Amino acid sequence: MSVSERVQEELEALEAILMDDISITYNEKGYPELVKSTIFPSTADDTDKQYVCVTLEVKLPEKYPDCEPIINLRNPRGLDDSTVNEIYSSIKIKCNEFLGQPVIFELIELIRESLTESNLPTCQCAVCLYGFSEGDSFTKTQCFHYFHSYCLSKHLITTERLYQEEQDKLPAWQKNPKGFNAACPVCREGIICDVNELKTSLPPKDLENAQNFEVTNDLKLLQLKMKELFTYQKKRGGIIDIEAQENKLLLITVTADSSTPPGEDPGPSLTNNGAMDSEVLRGQRCDKRFNVNR
Amino acid sequence: MAALPRRIIKETQRLMQEPVPGISAVPDDSNARYFHVIVTGPEDSPFEGGLFKLELFLPEDYPMSAPKVRFITKIYHPNIDRLGRICLDILKDKWSPALQIRTVLLSIQALLSAPNPDDPLANDVAELWKVNESEAIRNAKEWTRRYAMDN
Repeated sequence: MSVSERVQEELEALEAILMDDISITYNEKGYPELVKSTIFPSTADDTDKQYVCVTLEVKLPEKYPDCEPIINLRNPRGLDDSTVNEIYSSIKIKCNEFLGQPVIFELIELIRESLTESNLPTCQCAVCLYGFSEGDSFTKTQCFHYFHSYCLSKHLITTERLYQEEQDKLPAWQKNPKGFNAACPVCREGIICDVNELKTSLPPKDLENAQNFEVTNDLKLLQLKMKELFTYQKKRGGIIDIEAQENKLLLITVTADSSTPPGEDPGPSLTNNGAMDSEVLRGQRCDKRFNVNR
Repeated sequence: MAALPRRIIKETQRLMQEPVPGISAVPDDSNARYFHVIVTGPEDSPFEGGLFKLELFLPEDYPMSAPKVRFITKIYHPNIDRLGRICLDILKDKWSPALQIRTVLLSIQALLSAPNPDDPLANDVAELWKVNESEAIRNAKEWTRRYAMDN
């Protein structure tokens, strides 16, 4: 059997078993180039209990299966780097073992087994940066990102409050009729959650047991270097003098538009003659800038 | 002052243990929410060779709200005004608690590589950047050489 017939046979079998869960891309010559499948742990089709997933990408060189395919694991969800690397190593061994034979289904099974074994998020919560311990209450979003329920509720409450504050400033005709949409902190996909339920959760355990911060010698050294750089740049006139800039601003703002509070607008950059170009005031498109009063 | 949130401690430790190339951030001795920052000008940008000092402050409800960041070293850039304030969406309405000190500083470094005169904060700089880019770049290089050098 020729190489391409063997590949064709393997792919037909995969499509028959996996159906919509596999996608095959062909090149312009009609030769299969890329096989993709998103793999979940086996949980007897109970998708609520699937906490991890990963997309397997198999590139088929023309000599496959007589040479190893090129494997990529994309979009790992709920998996930390070390778990992903472990899967990569076992893939490598499997590919070697199956040289000359179809291997894709073997790989899918291998990954599924690994995912089933580690079907608990090993990643960190992107909000508090701590992991998930036994007993922590956590939430899986529709986009497969993980947060402690406590942390996610804080995010949702804050973003909804900020959204309301923005809406309240708008005239009625500009208000968003659809209302607030919660978004995932990691990928900004829309998510649907019950905040009232989430906010009753306790803070994660790791958070309570974390170490305290100590100033190390390295840190002191860095602080010293920063101080030296500051002194040097100041001597050369390279440090922004906020007070001088604001005084200049105050004068010019008063003549240009007395209703504008001075702290709200940046200086009219580099207008040496002091004449106020009205563009400078109108052209500010970034609102809510950092207030420099410390 | 309330105890420092664990997340801030963790970020600080990671910044020390796995520093980002071209970026250093050190907490202040007296206020662990206030960071002294140095960002090096990216290669192949008019800011190459410069060491820019910034200050970064983590507000009370961080990470629910964005850090406040400002350039301390003078810089000639269309999205940074003469008070050192930065026009960057992730510092405003596009903030997410999944972002961190390191990702914010990386974004600021990226802004140095990709000035955006269509969304200006320093209008005359942006104007020149649009009508005479080579002159604007010359100014930026000159400011970098004059103000952002190390001893």
